Amino acid sequence: MDLAVIEKVVATLGAIVVFVFALIGLRGEWPKNGLDDIVTKLLLGLMAFGCLLVLLATAGLLPRGGA
Amino acid sequence: MATLAPGVKTGPYHAVLDHIHPEPTSFIRKYIFSIDHKVIGYQYMITGGLFFLIAGLLAELIRTQLLSPNGAIVSAATYNQIYSMHGSAMVWMVIIPLVTGGFGNFVMPLQIGARDVAFPWLNLAAFWMFPVAGVILFSSFLWGAPDAGWTEYPPVSLQGPPGTSMWCVAIFLIGISSTLTGINFIVTIYKMRAPGMTLTRMPLFVWGQFGTAGLSFIATTALAGALLALFLERTFGVPFYDPKHGGSPVLWQHMFWFYSHPAVYIMILPVFGIISEVLPTFSRKPVFGYKMIAFSTVAIALLGFSVWAHHMFTSGMVPWLQLPFMIITMVIAVPTGIKIFSWMATLWGGSIHWTTPMLFATGFLITFTCGGLTGFFLAAVPLDYHEHGTYFVVAHLHYVLYGGSVMGLFAGIYYWWPKMTGRMYNEVLGYWHFWLTFIAFNGTFMPMHWLGLLGMPRRVALYDPQFQFWNVFATISSYVLAASVLIFLYNFATSFRSGKIAGPNPWGARTLEWMISSPPPYYNYKKIPAVLATPYDFGNPLPYIGLEAAAGAEEATPTAASHPVPTH
Amino acid sequence: MSVSIAKQGYSLGHGHDEDAHEQVIYQETRDMRLLGFVLFLCSDVVLFSAFIFAYIYLRTTVAPSWPPIVGGHQLPRLDTAFAAVNSVVLFGSGVTMHYALENFKHANLRRYNVFMGFTILLGAMFLGGQGYEYAHAQIGGWSGNIFGASFFTLTGMHGFHVFAGVIYLLVLWYQTQRGVYTQERYFGLTAGTLYWHFVDVIWVGLFFLFYLW
Repeated sequence: MDLAVIEKVVATLGAIVVFVFALIGLRGEWPKNGLDDIVTKLLLGLMAFGCLLVLLATAGLLPRGGA
Repeated sequence: MATLAPGVKTGPYHAVLDHIHPEPTSFIRKYIFSIDHKVIGYQYMITGGLFFLIAGLLAELIRTQLLSPNGAIVSAATYNQIYSMHGSAMVWMVIIPLVTGGFGNFVMPLQIGARDVAFPWLNLAAFWMFPVAGVILFSSFLWGAPDAGWTEYPPVSLQGPPGTSMWCVAIFLIGISSTLTGINFIVTIYKMRAPGMTLTRMPLFVWGQFGTAGLSFIATTALAGALLALFLERTFGVPFYDPKHGGSPVLWQHMFWFYSHPAVYIMILPVFGIISEVLPTFSRKPVFGYKMIAFSTVAIALLGFSVWAHHMFTSGMVPWLQLPFMIITMVIAVPTGIKIFSWMATLWGGSIHWTTPMLFATGFLITFTCGGLTGFFLAAVPLDYHEHGTYFVVAHLHYVLYGGSVMGLFAGIYYWWPKMTGRMYNEVLGYWHFWLTFIAFNGTFMPMHWLGLLGMPRRVALYDPQFQFWNVFATISSYVLAASVLIFLYNFATSFRSGKIAGPNPWGARTLEWMISSPPPYYNYKKIPAVLATPYDFGNPLPYIGLEAAAGAEEATPTAASHPVPTH
Repeated sequence: MSVSIAKQGYSLGHGHDEDAHEQVIYQETRDMRLLGFVLFLCSDVVLFSAFIFAYIYLRTTVAPSWPPIVGGHQLPRLDTAFAAVNSVVLFGSGVTMHYALENFKHANLRRYNVFMGFTILLGAMFLGGQGYEYAHAQIGGWSGNIFGASFFTLTGMHGFHVFAGVIYLLVLWYQTQRGVYTQERYFGLTAGTLYWHFVDVIWVGLFFLFYLW
């Protein structure tokens, strides 16, 4: 099998798993209000967004015009 | 046991202010590697003062070369190095460290009723980067100093002597120091104010430091990026700025000025704070418009991030982009003008005491305003096309930096001199210093306005003979200006021996640092007083509770033996 | 830092014993250290932003085409699929770090060790992946052209931050074994977690800018 396809499958599965656990962690942090909690919530959210970007990449939607 | 009256607005109580750590005993820990903000402040002032003298000598070399249109004091190549080093040293090794590390360190913790800054060891580390960076910078002369101006535009800076790379390293290092100090000061001011000192009861000097610290820690790393890229390109050929390899010199200008414009506000906001302390004290009047002065500090800091491209109007910028930069630059005149008018209103009707700090502060009002006005003329794009790169810019920048920052620094030095040294300076010598400075400063830099408008470019070792008369006038004035600094140094040196003992409050001022002995004890305040109002209500009782305990000495302070250091 | 309680002093009106007072002092110094650390992270963001600006400026305003044409040929794009895997590795390490800290706070030290170990392992794997990427990238090297200049400088700076982070986490892990941190006092672990998340999120930006744009 083509290496790129293996990589895409691994990345897709990994991104989904990490995305789910990031959101679970985010939900746990949500009610807390200290400075470190706010920063953690922001950064966990951005990490989850990063997983979405990975999914867009493995689905071939980004970059536009093909990798 | 003092308590605040019910209903009196207080800030958060800070238990962390309660401790007094034992005083260090060894010479090294007391004077070389001290974590005491006061000692670190003195160290910054002495180091910055020394670099001021060196950079000032470089300026005199410049002026001497320009006595004649075909000056032969130095070669053109050396001349380029001299003005580049003069500018770089003055900005990064003199003014910024003095206003933040020097005065900020000494005065600010005292004014907020704290015993030290938030991170004293970080303060120590940040200080020692300063002399190291200065030595690296000045020693670049040995290998060929940077020669493309303090702004080091590529492609010229890419081809510069090895000293240009040393310049990158030195400024990067002082930048780390500046960033760490900014972080230290923000946390200190935000978290360590005395009980009752809300933000709107802080002295205006502290507001100035607060705004400056915010600028410092955000803007400085942008410069670090620019310097790193220049260093990588010069050393490893990594292309960022060289058009031959796909880079762009305009990219450097963006990255450099994104920092260097906020840098000029870093150089002036603490000085605005000094003026806000000196004027009310010697007018015996409340400062006019405390909140407007405080908030305009924040406004200037924020707006200062959005105007950097006004240094790039002639770099090929599209007109539609020049317009917003021009307008916002002009808009900064509004909060600045609010300050000037507030200060003038503070003087109005006051009982003026013409001490030396008051003279410098009032002189500042005149010369800084001139500098601000010429800044407005430079902001107008069509005028800037004519003025850019000429002596008009040199005039503007020296009016705001010498007529502004340096005059304000002298006001601060004379004002806090009794507090720092415990002695008064000689007022007659102070008067001589001021008047020589004021007259000679204007004599040096006023002609540069019309020299520039008539077409004399900056950064030239040789010039057209039509400009000679005013160059000679400026140079002779600059020699008088240099002599005035000698008067100051003599005053400083002799005050230690023959200055009158100052006592805690020779000026009858009202900020907290004047409530304790001169110089202050290593722990500043025996007990932290509580604060009920701003310090500027002359005529009303002092707004503090617990001052007697603060200045008291009835109890022994802890020693290392009586209070062992706990584990984590 | 030595702690000494002033005997008389400003009083809030309620009595407190030494322990409670010491706790207040700890909490306040912790808050100060946290604010200082967050401000430091902000200044680090500006450092990356400066180079990100340089990349965007060069790519959109200076370069006639992207990827640039060097020696008559247009450079290829980077390997997005491989970077996608490496990115998931790094984001995963961020999530495991979060759970490591949470478990420590709830005194589950065995789980803390597992998650912390995975975090460090995944971080090291990311660095290995970057090494592989650097060796196989076909974009002409660090000093060849502005693509290589911006890519290798930015990802290199990021990789340096990851490397420093791995060392930092190893030190924290070691300190935890030595009992330096308790469930009430674990600021070092909080700071390490925030730093690691910061490094992670910078990569979100770089992944998008170099591989997806």
